[in-house]
Amino acid sequence: MMLKYELKKIFTKRINQVILAAALLVGILLSCFAVGSVFYVDENGDSPKGLNTWRLLAEDKNQWKGELTGEKIAEALRIDRALSAQYPDGVPDDVYGSEMQAYSDIRDFVINVLTPDSSWDASVLDQLTDEQAEDIYDIYRENLSKMAEEYGTTPEEKDLLNRIYEKIEIPLVYEAKDSWDTMMMYVETYAIILAVIAGFLAAGIFSGEFRPGVEDVFLAAKYGRSRAVKNKIIAGVLMTTVVYWSGMLILSLISFAIMGTSGFSTPVQIWETYSIYIMTYGEYYLLSLLCGYIASLFCASLTMLVTVKMHTAGVAVCIPFFLLCMMPFVGRALPSFSAFFNLMPDMLINIIECIKAPILYQIGSVVFRQIPLIMVIYAAAAVALLPIVYRSYRRRGLRKR
Amino acid sequence: MELQFKNVSKDYGNIHAVDDVNYTMENGVYGLLGVNGAGKTTLMRMLCTAVTPTEGKILWSGKDIFRMGAAYRGILGYLPQNYGFYPDLTVYDYMMYIASIKGLRPPVAKKRTLRLLEQVGLTEKRKSKMRTLSGGMLRRVGIAQAMLNNPRILVLDEPTAGLDPSERIRFRNLISELSEDRLVLLSAHIVSDVEYIANEIILMKEGRFFRTGTADQIISSMDLDVWECTVPKEKMNSYLKKYLTGNVRTVPGGVELRVLSETPPTDDAVRTGATLEDAFLLYFGEKAGDRNDAEI
Repeated sequence: MMLKYELKKIFTKRINQVILAAALLVGILLSCFAVGSVFYVDENGDSPKGLNTWRLLAEDKNQWKGELTGEKIAEALRIDRALSAQYPDGVPDDVYGSEMQAYSDIRDFVINVLTPDSSWDASVLDQLTDEQAEDIYDIYRENLSKMAEEYGTTPEEKDLLNRIYEKIEIPLVYEAKDSWDTMMMYVETYAIILAVIAGFLAAGIFSGEFRPGVEDVFLAAKYGRSRAVKNKIIAGVLMTTVVYWSGMLILSLISFAIMGTSGFSTPVQIWETYSIYIMTYGEYYLLSLLCGYIASLFCASLTMLVTVKMHTAGVAVCIPFFLLCMMPFVGRALPSFSAFFNLMPDMLINIIECIKAPILYQIGSVVFRQIPLIMVIYAAAAVALLPIVYRSYRRRGLRKR
Repeated sequence: MELQFKNVSKDYGNIHAVDDVNYTMENGVYGLLGVNGAGKTTLMRMLCTAVTPTEGKILWSGKDIFRMGAAYRGILGYLPQNYGFYPDLTVYDYMMYIASIKGLRPPVAKKRTLRLLEQVGLTEKRKSKMRTLSGGMLRRVGIAQAMLNNPRILVLDEPTAGLDPSERIRFRNLISELSEDRLVLLSAHIVSDVEYIANEIILMKEGRFFRTGTADQIISSMDLDVWECTVPKEKMNSYLKKYLTGNVRTVPGGVELRVLSETPPTDDAVRTGATLEDAFLLYFGEKAGDRNDAEI
């Protein structure tokens, strides 16, 4: 009963209702933006924007669905080379829509394989022979080993990178993954918004008691220094969970219902070719959601603690905004401290960047990858802060001065 | 069952809010009187375990209330001076929430909530948001929440503050009704309220209990007589400066003063019976709120 009314207190507050309504609206808007961000060219060279465009795009690309063998890659590149020769001044839109668009991801994959540590350069395809194209996975493996050598600064790191890269299942299995790829940006944007909101709402759980006369009634109640405080904390965690996952569910359901879910099982290595995170686009999306949830929980715990310690929510509500929105700018301004800033909580809602770079941390002989490390750090911190919140609040007024 | 204050002091830096209080209370209504800053609220907050004493102990049936923790708070009801609430909850939800943190099981909580809302005349307002209630209604919700757990100790800090006269009367009748078989400690700055409700009165000054007893005992402890006299308007200020003066009333031919003095202030002054307000004026001197009110 206590928890029920604690949650009711949060969700009946007018300011909270306004914020949650705004969050819902933003979720729907982001879904609309995601759906509207399709780039599809049909066989006439037109770029339609209807609701079924995503499915048409996936249908077109899925002509190449399945195991991406060397032969298949070579075939795609042969077509590409022929088209490039036929249209030296650029492929017309109708030709792009009828032929090139379908294999464009495969073409991009090959360019990525051939430019492991340099910027995107499509001209590398010009030097690639048919035989080399068929053996593209040999080049890929060779480059993976080179990457392990280059980015592993200690034997342990090299060993870990080699072991990770060995897990890449070759040949890769391809399916059009545009919907997942597009959604990543929107899900991370929305995660920031929801984490900041979770922090704001969580701060109000305790600050609501700091008004004159309210706290005295609370602390004078039988469970005012025990169960009632626990229930406030549980309400904070529950509220964060409900707000975050409801928001994400709305965003995901609207978006994927229109965009389709093709590419759930496509490995991220199709685009992030040298990523040290071996997973599919579906797993990548879920990982991003989970990291956003950890960020929200951490923000909620931290704002509850700061509110309890400072007896006001004023500073506390600014903390999530600073950590998630300002910290990236601070990190960019201080590149020498990148190892430190790469462990900041904003990284939890920047998984797109995290999977690109092979960032490793070594403690003793144990090597950690960036994403699991920050997940563990902030999940543990979110949980560890809760008993401190409990102890700090239940002791209020009991110190002899 | 008794509540004992043993050498209880509370300091905030160099300020002695409560200074070495020793007192024992049993069932009955105790009225705490004192000017602002006398330490009444601090004492009550200590009694409600919101703050700890700097020194000394508060014992309930011989046990330290701070060690008793939840067991003690389970028998406590408290209405703070600046009674706060959750503005967006309905009256019923607010009561149910407080009932939950007081450890009442849901069926009991529901029954008690409905009964108390009826008792304080707010049944029809149970679905209204707390923020829509008037000051008087809020105080009534305040006392209803304090009574939810049927407390053995009921602490009411300025329960009649800010109420209009009819609400005050209604409220003090309600307190009288609820005070049966329990220990009630209430503070008020309106002397007549305390005089009406309390069996035992405690005068508190500068953190200390310096007079305790029934209203009659306190009145009889006064070493000045009370006089009523009429003086010309132009001489009023000199009388106010010279004597402790209570009520000032304009009458035909001057102003009627109620004066505390060993000797008659004027030749035609009439000795009259002392009240608790006079005692308050005597012991708290110029700081007495009622005197200022009277002057205004």
